[in-house]
Amino acid sequence: MVSQTRREFLKLGLAAAASAAAASGIEIPLLGNQNSNLQNQLNSANTQMANLKTKLNTVTGFVSLSINEQSLVEAIVETIIPSDSTGPGAKEAGVIYFIDRALAGDYGLSANMFMDAPHNPPRIPASAGPLTVKPSSAWAFLQNYQQTAYLPAGGMGSGTAISYPGASRTYSAGGTNYTVNYGITASPRVGSGINLQYPVNMREFWRISLAALQAYSNKYYSGNYQTLGSDNQLQVLKDLWANAPKTQTNPPPPADDLTGFSNILPSDFAYELTFMTWAGFLMDPLYGGNQNMVGWDYVGFNGVNFGNFYGEGLDQKRLMVDSSPTKLRPASLAQYQQQATGGA
Amino acid sequence: MSTVIQENPVDVVCLGVGFMSGVVATELALAGYKVVGITKGPYWDYVNDYSTTKYDEWGVGLGRKYDSPLPLQSTTIRNDTSQFALPVRRYTMPIQYHALGHGVGGAAQHYGGGMGRFGPWAYEMASRTASSYGLGFLAGINPQDDTHDWPLTYAEYDEWEKAHGICGNYNGSSTNSSSDINYPWMSKNYPLPPHPLTPLAQLFQSTVQGMTAPNGQKYNPFPSVSALSSQPYTNQYGVTVNPCVYEGYCAGLCDYACETGAKANAAYRTIPAAINSGNFTLVTNAYIFRLELSASGNQVIAAHYYDAQGNDHRQPGTVFFNGMWGYNMIRLMLLSGLGTPYVYNSGTGTGSGTVGRGLTNGYTPYRGTNVSGTVNIGGNSYPAGNGSGGGVSVFDLMDDNFSHTGLNFIGGGLFGAGGYLGGGPGNITFAGGVSAPNTANPNGAMGSAFKATQQNKYLPTKQSVGATPFAPDLPTFMNYIDLDPHYTDAYGDPVSRLTYDWTPNTYNGATYLVNQIKAILTQMGATNVTVGATVAPYSAHNDWWGHHLRGGLRIGTDPNAGTATAWAALSGYNQLYYNSNTAGVNYFAAGEITNTTGNNATAGTHAAGPQSYRAAEGIKKYLANVATSGVNYLAS
Repeated sequence: MVSQTRREFLKLGLAAAASAAAASGIEIPLLGNQNSNLQNQLNSANTQMANLKTKLNTVTGFVSLSINEQSLVEAIVETIIPSDSTGPGAKEAGVIYFIDRALAGDYGLSANMFMDAPHNPPRIPASAGPLTVKPSSAWAFLQNYQQTAYLPAGGMGSGTAISYPGASRTYSAGGTNYTVNYGITASPRVGSGINLQYPVNMREFWRISLAALQAYSNKYYSGNYQTLGSDNQLQVLKDLWANAPKTQTNPPPPADDLTGFSNILPSDFAYELTFMTWAGFLMDPLYGGNQNMVGWDYVGFNGVNFGNFYGEGLDQKRLMVDSSPTKLRPASLAQYQQQATGGA
Repeated sequence: MSTVIQENPVDVVCLGVGFMSGVVATELALAGYKVVGITKGPYWDYVNDYSTTKYDEWGVGLGRKYDSPLPLQSTTIRNDTSQFALPVRRYTMPIQYHALGHGVGGAAQHYGGGMGRFGPWAYEMASRTASSYGLGFLAGINPQDDTHDWPLTYAEYDEWEKAHGICGNYNGSSTNSSSDINYPWMSKNYPLPPHPLTPLAQLFQSTVQGMTAPNGQKYNPFPSVSALSSQPYTNQYGVTVNPCVYEGYCAGLCDYACETGAKANAAYRTIPAAINSGNFTLVTNAYIFRLELSASGNQVIAAHYYDAQGNDHRQPGTVFFNGMWGYNMIRLMLLSGLGTPYVYNSGTGTGSGTVGRGLTNGYTPYRGTNVSGTVNIGGNSYPAGNGSGGGVSVFDLMDDNFSHTGLNFIGGGLFGAGGYLGGGPGNITFAGGVSAPNTANPNGAMGSAFKATQQNKYLPTKQSVGATPFAPDLPTFMNYIDLDPHYTDAYGDPVSRLTYDWTPNTYNGATYLVNQIKAILTQMGATNVTVGATVAPYSAHNDWWGHHLRGGLRIGTDPNAGTATAWAALSGYNQLYYNSNTAGVNYFAAGEITNTTGNNATAGTHAAGPQSYRAAEGIKKYLANVATSGVNYLAS
């Protein structure tokens, strides 16, 4: 990916340099047929300049993904949204740039996340036993304020650890008995809504997981992910979703499979991969993906075209009560803001 | 602790500046009292903050640029006392998991504008159930039952609806006559007319009008009640309200930010009037962390907050109104040693104390027993419309509007159909919501086959309709709020811990109601009408249940169960008033007949709003008596 991009950039750059002098806004009046060749050349140069400006707005580099990660992520996102006969995919949308920018920003830094310890990731070997947590400053607060009612069994002396064993509970409703097993490592946890209980930020989470995915691909599919056939590439990601390597038909896997993921649940990474790929395909181009709005065009989304952005003559009231769909050419947030502020 | 910065004493200190504080601050400021309102976030200027940047689905939906920052404060969650409560680490897609607001307007900055009234039954749920079905009925259907009546009435909605410009039409008939409908408590109409109906809403309306409800009478459809103004409007405080312009980008992950101020919210309904009165001081970016008690311990004398630099400010006052978001309100009381903390005894299945008691879940219709089908009405799934208008609802499957004899639940749900198909772009939702490989999608959201299903998805030629109904989630002893022993906020104080699991009343109700909805869908001409698997207890733990939690600080006449007088003053602390969603221990569960992108129909979830007028009245009486005689009016 990176080399191809660079080649493309160089090619365009050379072409631009060659024609820059001639194309710098010079207009030569048509003086008859003898000058038409010159005029054609000028027109051609102007077109190239315009194309270059467009390209420069989209051809870009990386601020976070390493060289090894670039080609791996590119292959993964193309697996998730392939370019095919129905239309452009993750490649054309520049999804990798969206992900790269996100990893370098708030998303990757977990800037909006609550990151305090203790961390209780879901994938802890059974041999680790029950979760044991030392009292925190919250405990000190409770003790100081004599709010001992909140202190769990296990003591409240300074430094006393609290142990949370798994538990089983039987419940009767509607004449049926249900038994539910709870535990620190067992399903069901409370739910995916409180996932990502990892002691690393999302950039580190991706770094560990991408390396682990590559190692897994080599171990079970005999090659780097980028070199696999498209069926196997898809299967690798499905294995991650299932938290089960190819050879394991009955999850959960042994503790030493998918070892590279450490405490990270592979399905948590599969979720991030899938979600971020689709987000890169469908979020506003402002964030580096969905380039030229190819993603919106594919799903038929209008962006911020409320019916008359390009002079279609429709309005949002009509769009919302219409019983037959109208496909609108999408408009981006940047276009909308320029229009709203009267900017260039 | 460094030097404490002393603020000037005032009559009323409003903790948090959302819906409820908006009413209290405005009423008291207009009555001539000096009021201070303290909020941890900014005063969003809807014109400048939202007019173009709200169309940024990524920044709003994942970046959460308008939401309460989790690094400042999170909460922890578990299903029962045997578990280690895990903290909310990230705002989860595809839903507003951790629903705190941030700034003036509070959580109303990101609600959908669904609004409505409680019926009388909701306030007398316990006693009416006992009188209709016997004393043992509730205990039988709701293990560890802790359901109580609510000493308020539905008759207090008038001022609230006028102040906020609620849109609706109770029965949709041209005569607006109360004799047209089954529910006299709905007979007083709303201040503003409803929004234009969608084709699907009209089909739903005409269909149910020809059907018989379980109560043996015809269904009574009415336009879904909305808190987004349908026309220009000036409320009783002289605040001018702009109408909705239907540009969408409201619903779902776009967080419902409203760039015209059409959506009811203290920031542009009440607080402007309070400011204009000259008696109101707004303190923004101020994080309240403690209430200071008198030496005797029975009076609140000051609120402490950190400013953006971490300085400790001390704000003295005569009356304190706690209008903070749900579990934050309770947390502040627990941190300050106010009231009697609730303590659950898992051995006996009962509890003692009141602060934190009765945590319930208002509205979780997204998972569980469901019914769905397809109707031949197309449309644009574009972000046009708004978060809550355009639909039609029925009350006939709610409350005790049908007999529950022989059933294993009480209550029911409000159902509606045909909200605007657009409203929110939903790109994040469908990108993130369909990820895991399953039977229907063996490759999950990956590969060419799945990609093809997304082509022109925003241009449906048919619409899917369906519902995931629930009956009310009743208070039990085992669901509650306390302080977490492990995790703290940015300043080192414990965060709140929520111990919660669904109660059987919700899924038992769903199993019954889902067949009523199925009949409606079939009658609407829907094809492929299918009912999903019955939800079993504890099978429905998911990431969706956290965002409409309420309860935990009950208003009640029984001091062993309730923690406040009917004026919403905390028992034993007559100058501390509180009022928020949290106060509503009983509530309606709302089901909905969704369309492709979903449309909330949370009628009745905001009964705390009308109640805030009651608190304002109580505070006025208290202040008047203190001023003239020094006598504590409410003590008698």
